[in-house]
Amino acid sequence: MISSHAKDSFERIFRKAAQSRLALDSGDACDITPLGQGETGASLAGDVVVLTISSIVFRLILVIHFDEDASTRDYFARNAAERPFQEVFLEICNLCCGAMNQELLRYFPDLGMSTPYVLHARCVSHLEELKPGYLSSHAITINGSVHLAATVCVCAYAPIDFIADVSTVEETSGELEFF
Amino acid sequence: MIEQYLVAALGSSAVTAVLALSVHRVSRAKAMRQPRVEAGVRIDMLSETNAQQSALIDQQNQQTQELEATLAQLRDDLANQVESNEEIRVSLDAAVEVREQLAQHADRIAAEALRLKSLGATFERWHEQMISLMTQNKDMHAKNQELSSIVRHVVIVSLNASIEAARAGQAGRGFAVVASEVRALAARSEELSKSYRDSLDISDLTTTATFQDIQAGGKMITASLASVEALANQFQSKLHQAST
Repeated sequence: MISSHAKDSFERIFRKAAQSRLALDSGDACDITPLGQGETGASLAGDVVVLTISSIVFRLILVIHFDEDASTRDYFARNAAERPFQEVFLEICNLCCGAMNQELLRYFPDLGMSTPYVLHARCVSHLEELKPGYLSSHAITINGSVHLAATVCVCAYAPIDFIADVSTVEETSGELEFF
Repeated sequence: MIEQYLVAALGSSAVTAVLALSVHRVSRAKAMRQPRVEAGVRIDMLSETNAQQSALIDQQNQQTQELEATLAQLRDDLANQVESNEEIRVSLDAAVEVREQLAQHADRIAAEALRLKSLGATFERWHEQMISLMTQNKDMHAKNQELSSIVRHVVIVSLNASIEAARAGQAGRGFAVVASEVRALAARSEELSKSYRDSLDISDLTTTATFQDIQAGGKMITASLASVEALANQFQSKLHQAST
């Protein structure tokens, strides 16, 4: 139901959003490595942030796996020491999903995005229960020390075929609309 | 002699008188002939003028007929124009009425879209109920964790019981059977607890995914309604601009 073009497009859109939003500085190295089927990219410990983008023909669930270790906390909360780490991290995940939403709006005019929610990482192993048409996990390493993992899960309710061009220059304005 | 003279004088007078009469008649005839010629010339001129004026009258009659024909044509055109103007006025009135109806429709669509946007609050309410459900799930996770801890403890106790039964020898054989049964029950409980934890995890995921879908769907609908409202308002303002 999801064409190979569409699957590649979801992949490209995710990569662009992750590189531009999960890496806080443009100079930070953000390495994204695809994981094999069934791998979630991390141990079952830790938590995941779940966000959903809904359209008429599909729903996309973005799951970002994180361990609240020192390097992760230092990296993401370095500019907001007075705020709880989870609040800061949820905001960053929201921006990442918002960037995907913004990109997808070019191909699907009717879209809406949820607010983030934190679940135990064990839940990721049950994503197959949602009967996804596309399920892809990636290990993300920022500056060689911050380790995250992300899973993109798309459930389709009609045939989906589109080719995303993510080469356009990214607009940095309008971020506040995601909140 | 005198008589001769008198006769001669009378004769000469008579001749003179005859001559004078002749001369007079010739002169008179001459004098009468000149006006006749002039009158003839005048008559010719008058005839020519008369002919020219007749031609002019004919021409003017022709022009008059043409003008009357043109006037009749113009009257017909005017009548047609009046009829056409009436039709246009009727059409214009109908168009104005249609425009007013369209403006009313646009008003109603904009108002309806504005009203339906409040559906977003309903979706948010459903999403808040997810938090409540997830709190209950967390509570069940905690209870299951506690149960799992108890089961692990029971396993240890049953192992200890088995050891003690073995030490008791023959006297402890019955106790060993009981301890083994307890251990088996504890193992089943542990398995059940893990299965229950998996079920709770699936419930967490599906509940979150479902309620997030509802929340995101609500935002999608709200955004679409905002577009409908904006389009209706644009349409309405264009109608107002067209009427002014």
